[in-house]
Order: sequence, then structure tokens, then C-alpha cells
Amino acid sequence: MVMLKKILRFPNYLILGLLVVLSIFIMTNSVKAEEPHQPTDEYCLSCHAEPDLNITLQSGETLSLYVDPKQHSEAVHTDAGIECHACHTDITTYPHPELLYTNARELSRNYYLACRQCHAINYEETLDSMHAQIAQEGNLDAPVCTDCHTAHYVKEPDNPRSLISETCGQCHIEINETYIHSVHGGALIEEDNPDVPVCTDCHGVHNIHDPRTAQFRVETPELCAHCHADQDLMNKYGLSSDVYDIYELSWHGVDVSVYKAIWPTIWHESAVCTDCHGVHNILSTENPESMVNPDNLLSTCQQCHEGVGPNWTDAWTGHHEISLSRTPYLFYVDYFYKTFTYLVLGLSFIYVILQIIRNTGNRIRRST
Amino acid sequence: MSAREQFMTTHAKNIEAKRVYRRFTAGQNWEHAILLISGIVLFFTGLPQKYRTTSWSQQILSTPERLETIQQIHHIAAIVLILLVIYHLGRAIYLMIQRRLPAAIFPTIQDLRDAWQMIKYLLFLSKDKPKFGKYNFEQKFTYWFIFIIVGIMVFTGIIIWYPELITRYLPGGLVPAAKLAHSTEAIVAAIFIVIWHFYHVHLERLNVSIFTGYLNEEDMKKYHTLEYQQLTGEQIEDADTGGSQ
Repeated sequence: MVMLKKILRFPNYLILGLLVVLSIFIMTNSVKAEEPHQPTDEYCLSCHAEPDLNITLQSGETLSLYVDPKQHSEAVHTDAGIECHACHTDITTYPHPELLYTNARELSRNYYLACRQCHAINYEETLDSMHAQIAQEGNLDAPVCTDCHTAHYVKEPDNPRSLISETCGQCHIEINETYIHSVHGGALIEEDNPDVPVCTDCHGVHNIHDPRTAQFRVETPELCAHCHADQDLMNKYGLSSDVYDIYELSWHGVDVSVYKAIWPTIWHESAVCTDCHGVHNILSTENPESMVNPDNLLSTCQQCHEGVGPNWTDAWTGHHEISLSRTPYLFYVDYFYKTFTYLVLGLSFIYVILQIIRNTGNRIRRST
Repeated sequence: MSAREQFMTTHAKNIEAKRVYRRFTAGQNWEHAILLISGIVLFFTGLPQKYRTTSWSQQILSTPERLETIQQIHHIAAIVLILLVIYHLGRAIYLMIQRRLPAAIFPTIQDLRDAWQMIKYLLFLSKDKPKFGKYNFEQKFTYWFIFIIVGIMVFTGIIIWYPELITRYLPGGLVPAAKLAHSTEAIVAAIFIVIWHFYHVHLERLNVSIFTGYLNEEDMKKYHTLEYQQLTGEQIEDADTGGSQ
């Protein structure tokens, strides 16, 4: 105790304190000095913020090496503190190792694999997509992560939602042009409507499948029904939510439901929603351009029912319940079978029962 | 003597004494047979089509080709039925022109009186069963009910077979109405035939005259008293008259 008191006496106390602080300082510094040099964003941008920075690849293409510092600072990865080296794992300092890619596309198609490190599930999904499939068939322009999300300026993909159709529209130009003039696309662009479907709602996000297959076709009514059979959602826009259920009872609908249940991979011709309403060009029924506007309905039917006359359109009950005003023939037939038939069959049945009772009675009387 | 031997003896005696009566012509026997066969084929090929969304139907119609085949069978049976209808109506028109069309099958006021009397009898309000001629009101009801059923089935069947052609001349609204009628009427017909027709010709008494063409004297006296009297001039008093075909 006496010894300790002696040591801790001033100025020894001060010297000891200084020694501790110094040793901590030296230790931490020496640890840092042993790690390889990690370039920070700031370090990289000291060169790459130069707009004219570029490199000529073997293919003769000029590859810009410019990263816009402003846009980069707004990217979600920057926010999360993820810096250049997280993806550019092969570059640790300047001078950089030699670029082995002969052209810009080859570079993109290799560098994007870095996304997999963190976004494994999404990456796996893309392997199952139409885009991966055509890439495998040799079309290297098929998009990879960075084509849709960008490499250095990744933002929330759906803020605003119209960003999604813009993204897909970079390649699918004509379809996007059609879509933005449709009832769904119009509401998206003009009022940032949160309910209308954007590309990914129908086609999926990372595992986008070929929409031209028998399977996709046969599942189309169900796809539309996700929204169009939702009563609350349809009430919001004054639309009927019975359209799917009534379609399912129709000639087309029964056919399609059978194919869906047992022959999903066999192509069939019975009409699904998109055959009559259009695909990317769906318009309100009231719109004179709509395929299902009463004025255009006949020519829409004639796509499949060649040469049918003007009476033909009335053969379609138009997603409406049976009613006297809309479908009088159907109404009377339905009424007939719900009343008269029960009456006649019921009376016949009672009559036969009475006969059985009377005849049995006679037999008993005779035998006694 | 067993029941069968007894029957054979009576039958032989009847034929010997010519005590059987022609009830239907050979043509009518054939008409009924064709109606019966085409009807059964149409019913059993139509049923899986009506219930296509059910699993039992999908087991039968397991490929699109099978669906097509069953539709073709249905259409062939339909053509047979349509030819039968044309023959039946054609013959009726021919006989009408010749003024030889038998009036016996047409409903009369007497049928209503008979029906009323029969209901009183069945409700134990009267002991007397009405006496009938060649066709009683039950048989007339059977004929005309099936006549109308066949008419509806042929008419609606043609509409849904050739909807695109039909709507050039008739309103489009008929197509879904015809589809509903065709598929509902088929079930109505099946129920009617089972509860009404089967009871009267199988359970109440076995009457095979529609296949053989002949009715024996006993049945003639009992079930077609008035016709028997007309044919023989014999009076039957206090007969235990039956009420059916």
C-alpha cells in the first residue's frame, strides 16, 4: 500500500498517465499502418470527378471514367457508407491494374457480378429471367443489374413509381410509348397514381418471364384479377369488381380455366382479358379509341370470329350480371328455368308419389 | 307352374287366339329406339361438357383431343336426332295432307276432366279411376313434354353449334340464352324421364309395347278400356282400370 501511494504521487502520476496515452497512440497507429491502403470515395473522386477522364478500349470504344460527384453523393450506397472498393475490389490504389476487358459491354457484364455479394437473392432471380435467357442465347445487350439500376447512382427504383416505366422504356421504347398513353400509364404519369400497375406489377421484377408463352396467357385473367377483383380498390374508381367472376362463367372463361387447370402449357385461342382490352394500350371503355368501346367492339370480336355480323356483339354479356335491360333473352330463359321448370318437375314428382301411395294401398287391400 | 312358364303359356294362348293388339307401328318402334339411343348418347357426351370445370369431367376429357372427340360424337348424335325430328314432323305433315293423321295424341278437354278425376282418385276422394282411350292424359303429357324438350334442345343446340352464322339472322343475345337453356334443359329432360317416364313404363307396370308394338288383351282391357270397347264392341263394367302407358 505504501509503495503504491509512493508511485502514484505527483509527478509520477503524470508521467504514468502520459506513458499510457502514448502507448495507446503508438499501438493504434501501428495497426493501421499494417493494413493495405483502402482508397476512400474522396480519394477516387480526386481523379474520377474529372468529366473528360476516359480510356480507349481494345475495341476502339471510348469508355468514360467520369463519376458525377453530385449524383454519386445522392446514391443509396453512398448514404449507407458503401464506398468504391466494395465493388471495385481489384483496384486498391493508383496506378490501377491493367483493364483486361476488350469492350465496354464485356466490362459491364463482368463488373455487375459485384452486386451479387450483397444482393444474392435478387441476383439469383435474374438468372431465371427472360433477360438472362436471351443473353445465354448470345444477345449480350440483354440487361444486367447496372443497366436498370445504374452503377454509380443507384436510387430507390420506384420513387416516383413512374421511374420504373422510364427505366424499362429505355429499351422497350415503343411499348413504353403505348403504355404512357393507356389508362394505367396515363394515371401514373399525370397523377403519380399509387394503384395503377407499372411494368413490374404484371411482369415481375428480377425474374421477368416471357409473356408470350401459353402459360403466361392462361394466367392472364388471374393477373388482372389481382386488382380488378379487389372490391375496395375498384370502388375507388367506380369500376365493377365482378368482372373476373363473370368472365369465369363465360364461354371464354370456362375454356381458359380448364386450360389453366389441366393443360397450362398447351396453347389455346379462347379470349383472355388482353385479347379484347389490349395489353399496354388498355383504355377506358368510354374512350372512343378503346378496343372495347361499343363502336369498336365488333372489329375486336372479328379478330378471332372472322366475318361475324353486327348482331354478334350482343352474344357477349359484357361482364354484367343477367338483367332484363341488358340481356333480355338470357333473363327470360333464366327466369323460366328458375320458376316454371321447378313447378312442372315438382308437380310431376308429387303426382308420381301419389300414384305410388294409391297403388300400394290397392295392393294391400286386395291381398287382405 | 313357375311364373315364367305361366307367362309363356298365356302369351302363346294370346297369340293363338290373336288376342294381342297393335299399339305402335314398326316405324314408331324404330323412332322410339333412335330417340332413345341418340338421347342417351347426347346426354352422356353433353354432361362432361356442361361440367368441364369439375375434376371428374377433367378426368374424362383429359386432353384437348378428347374434348374434340366427345364434341364430334355429340354432334353426330345430334344430326341423327335432327333427322328423326324431320322424319317425324314430315310424316305428320304428310298424314295431315292425306287427312289420315290420328287425332288420338292431341290433348282434349276430356284429358283435363280425366286428370281431375285421377287426382281425386289418388287423394282417396273418389273410388273410380277414369277410363282411357288409346292415349291417356299421362301419356299425352309425356309425348308433348318430350316433344317440347327435343324442340328446345335442337333449336338451342344449333345456335350454340353455329353461333357466328345464326347471329347474322337472329339477335346475338340468343347465344348466351341458348347456352343456358341447352345445358339446363338437358338436366330437366333427364330428371323428367327418370321420375315420370321410368315410373310409368317400368315400375307401375312393365310396358314394352313401344319396343314390340303389341299390347295384350288384359292390359288393353285394364288400361285402355275405351279403345278396347271401340275395337271389340265389348262392354267392360267395373274394370280395374289402370292409369298408365
